[in-house]
Amino acid sequence: MSSAALPRTHLDLSGLLFAGLALVLSALVLLPLGWLAWFGVTDKGGAVTLGNFATLVADPSFVAPFVTTLAVALAVSVLSCLVATPLAWLVGRTDMPGRRLVRLLVMASFVTPPFLGAIAWEILAAPNSGLLNQWYRTVFDLEPDAHLLDIYTVEGLVFVMACYAFPYVFVLAANALERIPADLEDASAILGGSRWHGFRRVTLPLLLPSLLAGALVAFLQAMTQFGAPAILALPAGFHVITTRIWSLFQYPPEPHLAAAASLPLLLLTALLLRGQQWALEGRGYAVIAGKSGAPGRVALGRWRWVVLVGALAVLALPVLLPYAALLRTALVPTASEPLTWNALTLHNFRFVFEEFSATRLALANTLILGLVSATAGSALALVTAFLAARRVIAGARFLGFLATAPAAIPGIVLGVGLFLAYTRPPFVLYGTLAILLLAFVTIELPAAYQQLRSALASLHPELEEASRILGASRARALWQITAPLLGSSVVATWCFIFIGAIRELSATIMLTTADTKLVSVIIYDLNESGDLGAIAVLGIALLVITFVVVAVANSLSRRRGDPAP
Amino acid sequence: MAAVEVEHLTKRFGALAAVDDVTLKVEHGVFACLLGPSGCGKTTALRLIAGFLAPDGGTIRVGERLLSSRNGVVPPEKRNMSMIFQSYALWPHMTVSENVAYGLRLRRLAKAEIERRVADILTVTRLRAQADRYPADISGGQQQRVALARALVVEPEILLLDEPLSNLDTNLREEMRFEIRRLHDAYRYTTLYVTHDQVEAMTTADLLVVMNQGRIEQLGSPEEVYQRPRTEFVARFLGGTNILRGRRVAEGLVDCGSVVLRCGAGQFGGNEEAIVSIRLHDIDLAADGGRALPVNEATGTVARHVYLGGQRDYLVALPDGQQLRVVTPPAIDIPVGTTVKLRLPPERCRVLPE
Repeated sequence: MSSAALPRTHLDLSGLLFAGLALVLSALVLLPLGWLAWFGVTDKGGAVTLGNFATLVADPSFVAPFVTTLAVALAVSVLSCLVATPLAWLVGRTDMPGRRLVRLLVMASFVTPPFLGAIAWEILAAPNSGLLNQWYRTVFDLEPDAHLLDIYTVEGLVFVMACYAFPYVFVLAANALERIPADLEDASAILGGSRWHGFRRVTLPLLLPSLLAGALVAFLQAMTQFGAPAILALPAGFHVITTRIWSLFQYPPEPHLAAAASLPLLLLTALLLRGQQWALEGRGYAVIAGKSGAPGRVALGRWRWVVLVGALAVLALPVLLPYAALLRTALVPTASEPLTWNALTLHNFRFVFEEFSATRLALANTLILGLVSATAGSALALVTAFLAARRVIAGARFLGFLATAPAAIPGIVLGVGLFLAYTRPPFVLYGTLAILLLAFVTIELPAAYQQLRSALASLHPELEEASRILGASRARALWQITAPLLGSSVVATWCFIFIGAIRELSATIMLTTADTKLVSVIIYDLNESGDLGAIAVLGIALLVITFVVVAVANSLSRRRGDPAP
Repeated sequence: MAAVEVEHLTKRFGALAAVDDVTLKVEHGVFACLLGPSGCGKTTALRLIAGFLAPDGGTIRVGERLLSSRNGVVPPEKRNMSMIFQSYALWPHMTVSENVAYGLRLRRLAKAEIERRVADILTVTRLRAQADRYPADISGGQQQRVALARALVVEPEILLLDEPLSNLDTNLREEMRFEIRRLHDAYRYTTLYVTHDQVEAMTTADLLVVMNQGRIEQLGSPEEVYQRPRTEFVARFLGGTNILRGRRVAEGLVDCGSVVLRCGAGQFGGNEEAIVSIRLHDIDLAADGGRALPVNEATGTVARHVYLGGQRDYLVALPDGQQLRVVTPPAIDIPVGTTVKLRLPPERCRVLPE
């Protein structure tokens, strides 16, 4: 008597699952891009033409913003590297006191929405009403139109964008420094090299790939942002490419030109991303490992405190000053009133939370969308990551590619694409929260997928196998072993999608209507009408929610039982 | 009471045959060791037997029951086997007791029964004090014992072990080796133990299976395989040996250049070239013994001399450039550079096929 081997019934189910998932992911990514491409190459009559591109190239009102964008992005990139690299070195390699505080402040500037930072800097450095200019006038007893700083300039824009782009470079540089064992620098020292020599010849070359990658990320951030340029460049009288594309949807709308203008931006983003991957793919700079000790720290001696003060001064610019400005503005009835105890009021808070119906609706919408996007996005990312990591079905790599493809689409381009795709039958989603949900899930999916993929990679498959050999089916092993162990990663991913969704502006600005306003758009609208008190309150609310969720995510990543090192 | 029967088992990864036409029968209650260097296919063979991999050819049976073939595989959860993984695979979100109780819970035993069995096995493996702790908080040796307890508490018919001791330090390894053998003798299941450590294999196995490049080189009892290796690989891998290459000049006589050897063991292959194997401690070494006899004796110079406490390890260079390693009792102390006489007794010279 011999018992036949069990048939592989789950093969059919996984085939269906793969097909379904591939369909969903493709639709998410390809539908908006497809419509974008179509609109780019057709005219108002529907005929295929390259006329749109011809118009763009010939018209200086398109070429100038493009050039400006590239110049600004380059400046932001260089500035970010110049600020982030020494900071990363100080935090990672020296005995500067207050390193934890510095890291915290860098993280704070990481999660501050750039448009909020731009508004806060408006409050600080607008030529007439800016707080810093007012103080300057008072101290030096000058005429009312003298000013030290004018934020409504190209330099101002570069400065503000660099404030919120440098953390990307910092993170990459800090991680790279951590991975370079101190033994390498010690080896240089023992052979007679000075500290600076060791840094220049050993550490810096090993850091270069990460610095290059960081520079590219900062460049991309600056190139594809809408919020800060809209707030600072438009009043100054110039456009960048994102604001120009948006302007094409103001009356009278020119969707074809907008689509055509989006395509080069998309191409450039994809190219730069590829460049960043290439930079990080160990270009012969792999550290050949043996066992090595923890990095030793350079003793700064008398300079320790000087350096700390310097670092804090630098970090005051993206974090301390703007937050203080927001707080002040929130607590006084009008922006120009001097700050005294008598002037403090909760009037603005009451206005925002109780009286102004638009803000209450926006808050509700934002929270709902945040919750739903985070849940849907996490689920989608988890299933895709599991299928790809465990190679359960053939072609799982393709799913992974689809999941990470949206990283190459700038927010505004996605907004345009979704607008074009969903304002016509059969799927008229424009004007609903659903279109925003699509946008947020698409935008956040790549990072979520990467996070879960690496969490799964650090989960040894033998943990599931051990349960199977004891009698558990594949599904039971998933439920009892994988899911609990992955739990904290899934929640952390959920939190990051939530934060990403609530602060998104570039795509949102294209897709909201009067009924579907979100907090980020309301802040932008209120800026137009000069209602700084309300903006400050909303901005603080946004920041508080963000910090709470980040704190929850961080504490969960360190929960007991997490198998990741 | 069933034997594990593997017939013509083959598994390919791309063009490489990780397991190449392996046939093996392990009777019930036998402790079998799959021994070989990295990449020889022993872990792949074990995972095929466990059901995590599907074979490209051949079959795996336990008793009358067909478990694996090209056409299908009974999944691991239905094979009634237990396994200890190289990484131990202890679940970090469960305590030691919960880890151990997992298999019993799957079998839907009564709660009281589960508690009793877990308590018993924890006592046997000396883990009572660690019952409520988490795997991250106990030592490597204790983690290993938890893996053992978890695998044994379900009273398997067949226990699979994948290099379970490689992460432990030497003293602990020795202790655990004996522990694993002791438990095998007490519970009388069939054990399949994969290792690259020949000492581990020789001290624990009833049946030694030496593997190389996906194939079985030789199998038999440890004594049998050690005393009578049938290939150069087995002779080298188990116990270390000197290999001399030469030509067969007459029945039982091999000319190896610096020395002519009469060989009292082994079998010639078909051709003229022959290999002679002689173990390190089977060669007699003397500082001054006069002229060497024409057969089974040679002169050489000491090139290296290492003192190891219980023995001395010499490297002797022969006139034609070949080198022999000789291990002697500590009393024989000969400085480097001395001319020595080597005696290779014929009954210790084993001829192997080329």
